[in-house]
Amino acid sequence: MFLRQEVAPAMIRGVWMSIRLIVPSAVFGLAIGIITGTLRVYGHSVLRAIANVYVTFFRGFPLLVQLYLWYFGLARFGIYFSPYTAAVIGFSLCSGAYHSEYIRGALLSIKDGQMLGAQSLGFSRTQALVSIILPQAVRRALPGCGNELIYLIKYSSLAYMVTCIELTGEAKILASLYFKYMEMFLIAGAIYLLLVSIATWLLNNAEDWLAVPGFEPPRR
Amino acid sequence: MEQTPVLKVEDIRKRFGEKEILKGVSLEINRGDIKAIIGPSGGGKSTLLHCINFLTLFDAGRVFLNGEEIDHTDRRRLYAYRQKVGMIFQDFNLFDHLSALQNVQIGLVRVKKIPKARARERAVAELERVGLKEHMDKYPAELSGGQKQRVSIARALAMDPEVMLLDEPTSALDPELVGEVHAVIKRLAAGGMTMVLVTHEIAFAGSLAREILFMDEGVILEKGPPQEILYGAKRERTREFCDKIIHFHHKDNG
Repeated sequence: MFLRQEVAPAMIRGVWMSIRLIVPSAVFGLAIGIITGTLRVYGHSVLRAIANVYVTFFRGFPLLVQLYLWYFGLARFGIYFSPYTAAVIGFSLCSGAYHSEYIRGALLSIKDGQMLGAQSLGFSRTQALVSIILPQAVRRALPGCGNELIYLIKYSSLAYMVTCIELTGEAKILASLYFKYMEMFLIAGAIYLLLVSIATWLLNNAEDWLAVPGFEPPRR
Repeated sequence: MEQTPVLKVEDIRKRFGEKEILKGVSLEINRGDIKAIIGPSGGGKSTLLHCINFLTLFDAGRVFLNGEEIDHTDRRRLYAYRQKVGMIFQDFNLFDHLSALQNVQIGLVRVKKIPKARARERAVAELERVGLKEHMDKYPAELSGGQKQRVSIARALAMDPEVMLLDEPTSALDPELVGEVHAVIKRLAAGGMTMVLVTHEIAFAGSLAREILFMDEGVILEKGPPQEILYGAKRERTREFCDKIIHFHHKDNG
């Protein structure tokens, strides 16, 4: 009775909010990561410096501190974000900083000849980056970026700290209401595990789908 | 009336740090002509070809295509120029994530903006010309060195170049694969393609080119018809190099 009337609706609400946090953050984070990673390798010196500063701060500050800054800190300057918006901004920017490291490493592993080959056919540098270099680098970076997406699923629980009530938040509220901490957090943990399993399965499929001879996914 | 050379290079100089790699190299080539550049490693041959295509920017000198000087700061003009000057690299530089067909097709689609279906037809035709139609769906990782180089030639030809620069096209190949690439280059020559060929394959250079240029320490030391350069060079340095490489070649084949 308790399960069906109290727990199930709260958990469904929580999971839904978690997914609404994770999916856009994953998409924006990856996009930011690809752009900054590319700028850090191929950008002009000013852009490169800006991208490096960004990564330094967003990898250096604890994510929770970043969320507090977005939600509570900026309010002092009259900039108010909803808890949800603050969380998505915080997750995307933090995730993007990590993704950019994987992308940068992958870009550096692509041989110069690929760029020369493209340029010799009349590609501009930007065209060569988009059609030749990045498709290879993204394939190489995929295992690392996938790992970052898995982390994102779990650190999405920090949204609760800026009052965005997602899975962990719902569990916490029920747990303190009925004093069932062990039960509620085990259920929440199991649901995260399920989300991570689904993400892992999707990522493996993406790796297989993108695989071409010479760019096989690592053996599992 | 004097013919305008397809490609003309005037007094190119390039220095990397302290070392001057090209000390004023000039060269011109008429339509349908083939010139081979030989010389010891480190003499500036590859750098010269890279400079001609502006893949390496040089410190001084000028490059002309059909009498028109190329200003590399005019990006649009530079990209158009590079399409007209096909480049073949020592280590192929095929796009590793694309099949043979896609390697040839992508320049047509992205640079020449030709619709995909027509670009595909053209790419298939070019691969057929180099004898690789049945391998067109293979990726570089699945092709032999000789096949890779033939794909790269097809890729350059698809852009309709007016002149081809070949930078030691067979030096990264196993000996038994050199023949198939030479055969393709010979067919290009027979078809009237204008070419500048950097090579260590003296016999091949001799049979193909009307003129051989001997390059050492950043300058063209001597040039002339193959027989003259290979067997009767005026300069001591050229004779020494040719003797050595011809002996080596005979020993290799005997």
